[in-house]
Amino acid sequence: MRYYLRKFGFYLAALWAAVTLNFFIPRMMPGDPVSILMAKLQQRGGSVNPEARRAYELLLGTDTGEPLTKQYLSYLGNMLHGDFGISVSAYPVPVSEVIATSLPWTVVLVGIATVLSVLVGAGLGMVVGWRRGTWLDSLVPATTVLAAVPYFWLALVLVAVFGSALGWFPLIGGYDVDFTPGWNLDFLGSAVHHGILPALTIVISSVGGWLLGLRNMMVSTLSEDYVLTATAKGLPNRRVMIWYAARNAALPSIAGFAISLGFVVAGSIVTEQVFSYPGIGSKLLEAVQNNDYALMQGIFLVTTVAVLGANLVVDLLYGVIDPRTRAGGNA
Amino acid sequence: MTDPGPDSSAPRRAVLPRSSPKLVTGLALITAIILFGVTGPLFAGDPDAINDIGLTPPGGGHVLGTTQMGQDVLAQIAYATRGSLYIGVLVGVMATVLSALFGIVGSYAGGVVDEAFSLFSNVMLVIPGLPLVIVISAFVPPEQRGAWTIAVVLAITGWAGSARVLRAQTLTLRNREYVLAARVAGEPAWRIITVEILPNLLPLLASQFVFSVIAAILSEAGLSFLGLGASNSSTLGTMLYYAQNGFALQRGAWWWFAPPGLIIALFGCGLALINFSIDEITNPKLRAVPRRIRRPRREPAPVGRPSQDVVVSVRNLSVTYGNTVRAVKDVSLEVRRGEILGLAGESGSGKTTLAYAINRLHRPPAEVTAGSVTFHHRDGGDTDMLALPSGELRAFRWSQMSVVFQGAMNSLNPVMTIRAQLEDVLTTHRPQLSRSDRRARCARALELVGVDPARLRSYPHELSGGMRQRVMIAMAMLLDPQVMIMDEPTSALDVVVQRGILREILRLRDELGFGIVLITHDLPLLLEVSDRIAVMLGGEIVECAAAEEILARPRHPYTRRLLESFPSLTGERGAFVRTGEATGGAR
Repeated sequence: MRYYLRKFGFYLAALWAAVTLNFFIPRMMPGDPVSILMAKLQQRGGSVNPEARRAYELLLGTDTGEPLTKQYLSYLGNMLHGDFGISVSAYPVPVSEVIATSLPWTVVLVGIATVLSVLVGAGLGMVVGWRRGTWLDSLVPATTVLAAVPYFWLALVLVAVFGSALGWFPLIGGYDVDFTPGWNLDFLGSAVHHGILPALTIVISSVGGWLLGLRNMMVSTLSEDYVLTATAKGLPNRRVMIWYAARNAALPSIAGFAISLGFVVAGSIVTEQVFSYPGIGSKLLEAVQNNDYALMQGIFLVTTVAVLGANLVVDLLYGVIDPRTRAGGNA
Repeated sequence: MTDPGPDSSAPRRAVLPRSSPKLVTGLALITAIILFGVTGPLFAGDPDAINDIGLTPPGGGHVLGTTQMGQDVLAQIAYATRGSLYIGVLVGVMATVLSALFGIVGSYAGGVVDEAFSLFSNVMLVIPGLPLVIVISAFVPPEQRGAWTIAVVLAITGWAGSARVLRAQTLTLRNREYVLAARVAGEPAWRIITVEILPNLLPLLASQFVFSVIAAILSEAGLSFLGLGASNSSTLGTMLYYAQNGFALQRGAWWWFAPPGLIIALFGCGLALINFSIDEITNPKLRAVPRRIRRPRREPAPVGRPSQDVVVSVRNLSVTYGNTVRAVKDVSLEVRRGEILGLAGESGSGKTTLAYAINRLHRPPAEVTAGSVTFHHRDGGDTDMLALPSGELRAFRWSQMSVVFQGAMNSLNPVMTIRAQLEDVLTTHRPQLSRSDRRARCARALELVGVDPARLRSYPHELSGGMRQRVMIAMAMLLDPQVMIMDEPTSALDVVVQRGILREILRLRDELGFGIVLITHDLPLLLEVSDRIAVMLGGEIVECAAAEEILARPRHPYTRRLLESFPSLTGERGAFVRTGEATGGAR
């Protein structure tokens, strides 16, 4: 139980740190984002009521003479309500609404790609480690090359080959605009068709890390006494490989999931840009290009919450997989 | 940065010259790219010179073609490589310093400082880096966004991972004798950190530096590609940004966008290969071991049954490690039903190798090069162990011959319950048993060795060392095997527990009648419990006789030396185990 409480506490602290960073970054940086924002807003014919202006000031900080602590508390209050202000680039839609429409695209894309990459990478790593000394070893340096390729460049190459040259997949977008988004087959089919290349980019770039991690741990684990015992027990090879070797070898990879996920999220932002994918990464860049600071900060926070949430789930899973982590509570 | 560092330990230096193709390839890639980045701009023309031959394919005056504006791609790449390397090294240095500060200083100081630093690093680690970098750089007006600004932002968001690695390593170092000695001697903390700890961390720092450099080059490329990079500086990322915005892809101008990415990929790959080779040097397990599949030379054919009470016959068995070391030389041995055969000898004498080879548990590079092992079943019929196909070998293992391993503390899988590990023996070998029968048999086996069946639900880490060893013995008896090989079954345990377990083994042997091959360097113990003793020296059995015979009339000089090295053997303490009077019934 203590393990879980500690984990919850840690992620709460991380969330608080992210929210606070979000508060201080614009205040520490040069320039006056609020005026830029206001100017942009007026350009678009947006009326600036005092309430909206106040929300921006809280978010971005401007010299209003109000004490910092008071600003901070009001800011926290706004964040709690999910009130990130109004998006300039999509005026007059609130930031939260812009995020709500684009977030599912990214979550589904990154989620499926990550799960695929973990399954394929860890599965291959397990087999390569188990059959060490065979031709499979040559897979290992090959995957390090893949891992070193920049995401967006790989995306460009994939588009050039499978999109432009072969014409198998669409070049950009998340779905065919002829179809209306919703739960109909045409739309879903086109979304899948559009998602294959971006997902492939993420899988190819991240699979090497999982493969290498599990392979190396597998090789170390194979010399453990319990694997020898399992062999001596006459268990089938598959059972020894999966239940005795791989289950133990996977633990460090799971513990390092946070780092891997960080890379995937970073990569997917850039990948979305290449494909003009309607996800949160493209929105973030759109916000940056339009000085839409409110949207930018909202997206940063939501991304952070999603990443923290995914890590929390993995940490809780780790507690289930490795009984030793739970020991703290029993002792 | 490509070398593990001048302070790496002596053995590593000795291994390094045996360079692998991976290391050579990696070093060549890195050297070539660094040379290109440093010297390329000196030879290349003006990267920004515009002329009217936009988007010319490679060839002629422009080796790598031209951009949309007619700039020479090769010249641009030379300058861009230099720019990327510059930022990469800047970030590498800053991030390494930050990670050293938080990782090393924190863990050395310990207490609240360590807790705080460690929490801070972990929080920074889980907050996604690139979105944070994007937000920070978006707030900096473009005219103020130089290479240094970008480098600082990347360093601030990229140090946390290394700090965690360094912290773990420092924690193990700070309790080493020489560090403790320096503390006792009253040396100031900064001196202990820089003189005693830092040199030992250099290889790790070097590899963390390498990782920060490549991560920085990749992140900078991503950032520039998004148009958020350093203004008025040229890097591989900005090149790709212009290529993308100039529709290089749509116009099929591969020579514009392919080379910058390729350079990043090759650089990363070179660093990964070097790191890979360093890993293999520091952790020999990772090195590729060729699998040799060679049939043993079967000069002595499997033997017939010498007499009814022999259960295993080993004839002229030789085991070698990779053609050079002969660990077992021409050994012949018999194990009889229900006896305890002691296998004595110092470590490295080949006892364990011999025992493993009997059950074919030896691993490459060890292989049986000559001889035979024959198993004589209780109910007639002989098995040629070395010729057994793998499926039949699996069926044979444990059901006829089980093993209790050396250092049984680690013989149990830490992530499975005791029940699961006992039961999978039964599900594999006795698939016809019902679930409740399986459970009952496991519970009975534990009772037999004096462990509470409630322990079935426990995980190995919840049991004491002695209890784990009893569980292993219970597991070894689960299928009522004819022979049990016990490799130092009690040497990791304290004396009282050791004696208790040995008494248990003797009782069970009397009850169930399996033969035991007991391997240990503890000759007094063997003299007490075994029926016959085989003494091994340098891979050969130099003497094999009844225990009393060995004690009373040792023939080989080595046996005599062994006996003399245990002074207590001359006294009358031999009854210790069998009567148990000295242990007072302790378990």
